[in-house]
Amino acid sequence: MVKKMNPKDITVIVPAYNEENTILQVLSELKDRGYSVIVVDDGSTDSTSELLQKFKDDDRVRVYRHIINRGLGAALKTGMEAALFRRPSYIVTFDADGQHDPDDIENVCKPLTENKVDVVIGQRNFNEMPLSRKIGNLIMNLITLIFYGVWFPDSQSGLRAFTYNAAMRINVKDRGYGVSSEIISEIKKSGLRLMGVPIKTIYTPQTISKGTNLAIGIKILIKMIINILKKL
Amino acid sequence: MLYQLIGVITGLIGIIISLKRFKEGKTSPTVFVIWLLAWLSLIIISISPYTTSYFANIMGIGRGLDLILILAIIGAYYLLFRIYIMIENIEMELTRLVRELALREEDEE
Repeated sequence: MVKKMNPKDITVIVPAYNEENTILQVLSELKDRGYSVIVVDDGSTDSTSELLQKFKDDDRVRVYRHIINRGLGAALKTGMEAALFRRPSYIVTFDADGQHDPDDIENVCKPLTENKVDVVIGQRNFNEMPLSRKIGNLIMNLITLIFYGVWFPDSQSGLRAFTYNAAMRINVKDRGYGVSSEIISEIKKSGLRLMGVPIKTIYTPQTISKGTNLAIGIKILIKMIINILKKL
Repeated sequence: MLYQLIGVITGLIGIIISLKRFKEGKTSPTVFVIWLLAWLSLIIISISPYTTSYFANIMGIGRGLDLILILAIIGAYYLLFRIYIMIENIEMELTRLVRELALREEDEE
């Protein structure tokens, strides 16, 4: 059964930490396309919180604020809980740094509306990636494979789409950047059907400075080893 | 000997602090007893270091001092591990609290 895609059925979660330069543009682009937007301001210390005041009375953009910074994983989980509460048909996660093309939301949701899969992760083109980011992402793919037994070509991508039922079954605990790998592990554990769809990536100095670089990769690795030791 | 004096004084201070915390209800009875035993053994070992050789022989370790060092290292690592888990739990609780506040505040509006 193929359902027609209605932007109103899609809730987009945007976790944001100190994104004063990009947040307004990202949100207005999402709003213009008719999506419901949930922003999680993860204890930003720049003017992000003030900028978000603009949406105070906006029903299409709901802002949830963490009073202190708790990390990407924590912010995504808050967004997920808020989104699930509204029972949309599809839930999309979207980075606030402007690296994603809002038009790609349709592309990642399409396999869901066609009922081909339960989860779609947007795959960035690694050949276009700056070298340091490319290495960081490759290492994270390997870590995801070693620790969770799943190979996915772009495990750290921030653009993901879930059906409501799939999102219900994903329960993440990692508070930081390790959450991206954990989501893939949860998809596998719940037996959900996963698929990658190529997406565009917009590289600006901002999108390069944030995200998965080597240092973050090593930090995630140490955390995963500790997690395994804890389970022993 | 100086080290004996230091050992006994440290042990006594330890007992006083532990007892005070226990009376204020800041430590559970079990934890209090464990600390009490630790401080008491410090005092006994300080006064008569040779008692350790007795236990070391029982466990098949050559010297009393070795036994103490081994136990101390194991104890220290155990404590580190406990503290790590404690911090992790506190972080988790904190995150839950922050999330709950965020969700409530927005949905009350």
